[in-house]
Order: sequence, then structure tokens, then C-alpha cells
Amino acid sequence: MDKSSSQRLPPLKRTWWLKHRFFKLYMLREATVLPLVFFTLCLLAGMVALLQGADSWQGWIAFMGSPIVLLLNLVALAASLFHAATFFVLFPRVMPIRIAGHSLPDQAIVAGQWAGVVVVALLFFWLLGRGA
Amino acid sequence: MSTDQITAKRVSTNSASTKHISVKRYLPDTSTETYWQEYDLPVDDSTSLLDALNHIKEQLDSTLSYRWSCRMAICGSCGVMVNGIPKLGCKTFLRDYEGDIRIEPLSHFPVQRDLVVDMAIFLEHLAAVKPYLIGDNPVKPYDPKAPETYQQTPEQLARYKQFANCINCGLCYSACPQFGLNPEFLGPAALTLAHRYNLDSRDNGKKARMAELNRHDGVWSCTFVGFCSKVCPKHVDPAAAVNQGKVEAAKHTLIALFKG
Ligand code: SF4
Ligand code: FES
Repeated sequence: MDKSSSQRLPPLKRTWWLKHRFFKLYMLREATVLPLVFFTLCLLAGMVALLQGADSWQGWIAFMGSPIVLLLNLVALAASLFHAATFFVLFPRVMPIRIAGHSLPDQAIVAGQWAGVVVVALLFFWLLGRGA
Repeated sequence: MSTDQITAKRVSTNSASTKHISVKRYLPDTSTETYWQEYDLPVDDSTSLLDALNHIKEQLDSTLSYRWSCRMAICGSCGVMVNGIPKLGCKTFLRDYEGDIRIEPLSHFPVQRDLVVDMAIFLEHLAAVKPYLIGDNPVKPYDPKAPETYQQTPEQLARYKQFANCINCGLCYSACPQFGLNPEFLGPAALTLAHRYNLDSRDNGKKARMAELNRHDGVWSCTFVGFCSKVCPKHVDPAAAVNQGKVEAAKHTLIALFKG
């Protein structure tokens, strides 16, 4: 009997990722890009509005303040924090940091990254406070 | 500990009960269709899935085909899917399962018969990454006064040791949806093996391996699903190796760009 003709390999279905919790979590991580796309488009619209003059800038501010846009951007914030959380855990595995021949513990690298987020956020709020 | 306790303990470990497992059968010489077959078997706390399959083969149904050899998680030949998750039969214990136990051949490989899959493509991928020392010190005539060939410090060993623990069981390939979608993807174990040699202080073959690694079917097909590292029975963490490989591949591209 011909060996290859007797073999069986059903193709992977498009729904493969629905099979385990692990794959669903992975898809969720990848899907966080969608609300972020929305946020990026908002920023882009803001730039265009700024170039077009005061009226459209005011219009953009009103648009950003509308409840549905606020909600969508809150979702984008939550999504990016979730993505950051998953990314930060993966980072030490991709870029193990070795100092004097010893590798830095993973938790230290993860903590360092979150500290970076806090620093950037504080800097941002400080700038915002000065601007107001 | 008194003898009483020991006896009591022994009775409990040996307390035999019955468990029900379903095995996906495929017998190409009788039918092209697969079917589920049910077996009831006596188990105790020490019954591994491999013990269970051996019991079926010896006592219940000699037509069942599956692979095994070492029964101690070192030969890598007993991989099967248990309730949809790739596992080594000899490292999986029935005491950890309540209810349904469904056994299938490893996913993403062509099935030859019952639980036996064709791993040819996996072996081709392993060979493709040149998994051996390249351009290491040529073997010199042994000089007892200066025995320096192949010396390696513990730190140098530590860099790749984890990635050298792979037993080529292929569980990570069954866990990898990218390999399932595209069998040309070199896959977790092969890319890990390449990285293991690239990290070896005795090796000078990184450049030679880059042609294989730094292409779509090499490291760049990986999207860091990460399930390979979850199922690996040897804690090799192939996902980490593959993604460290991406960093290396990107560096390689950049350097080539500057050199023109
Ligand atoms: S990396 Fe782990 S799961 Fe993959 S073949 Fe090697 S031992 Fe098996
Ligand atoms: S029989 Fe060798 S790894 Fe399971």
C-alpha cells in the first residue's frame, strides 16, 4: 500500500483558537490592537483638526468628550494595559538580561517595566498640570 | 512511622479502580474513517497513560498501535493528545483525570495508524538548521600539557543548557497553530535547537544558520502564541528561544544592511 495515500491529516479549521482557554487568551491579546487603532485614528483626526483651524479643533474636542468616544477610548486604555501586562511578562524571556555572567530574575525585569510605565504616566500628568 | 501506617499507605496507593478512556482509532487498511473506541481499565495511583495503553494492547485489544520506548520521559516517542493537549504518555498519570479521557494522535502531523504519526517533516526541520558545532576548534592532536580543546566555563554552559534539554518529542509542534497552518514553518524545537548552537561558545556557525532562520518560514512565522512552552515536558521554553532568535535575525539583517 502506498504510504502517503493512507495517511490522514485533516486541515486546521479557522476556529482552531476556540479549542482552549490558552488560545482564546492569545487571541484576546492580539485583538487589543483593534481599540488601539480607533484611538490612533482619533489622534490623527485631532492633528488634522489642529491644522484646519480653531473651529474644527473645538469640534474635535467636543467629539472626544462625547460619551461613546470616551467609552471606546477607555476600552482602548484597558486593552493597552492588558497588552502591556502580557508583553512585560514575555519580555525577559525574549531579552534575558545578564549582568556579570548572572541573569537578572524575570520578576525584576517585569517590575522595572511597570516602574517605567509609572514614571512616564507621572511625567505626562505633570506636563498636563503645567499646561492647564 | 509505624508498620500500620506503612501498610495503610500501601493499601491506598494500590487501591485499584476502573477508568474509562476513549482512543481515536484509524486503521487505513480497513477504513479511511476514524472512530472512537472505548476501553475500561483497572488503574491505581501509579498508572500512567502509557501503562494504560500497554494494558489495552496486552489484555484487551492487540490491534491498537502507538509508540513508546523509554517509559521515563527521555526518548520522546510516546506523545499523544490527551483531551486536546499534547502530552507524553509516560509522564501523564490517569489519577490526574476525572471524567472524560480522550486520547488522539499528535495534532498537525499526518496520522499513519491509530496513535502513530509521521514525524518526517519534523526531522527534516531539525536537520535543516545545522544542529551541530560549526567551525569549532579542529581536533588537535591531544597534548596533555595543554588540554584546552572544547573548554567551556559554567557560565558559558548556562547560556544554552536549558535549550539543550529537548528530547525531540514534537509536543510543541502539536501545540503550535502556526505549524498547524503551515507545515513548512521550521517550528519551535528546530528553531530552539538552532538557537542552542548559536549560543554555544564553541560554535561559529551562526552566519551559516541565519539563511534558514531569517526568513518567513523561519523565526518570522512565530507570533508568540507561547503554548509550545506550556506543553514542553522538559521546560525547554522553545517560545523564548524562537523569540530570542528573532532578535538575532533582526541584528543580522541590520548588520548586513550596513555592510552593504
Ligand atoms: S522543545 Fe520541548 S516539546 Fe518541543 S520537542 Fe523539545 S522537549 Fe518536546
Ligand atoms: S516512552 Fe520515552 S518519552 Fe515516553
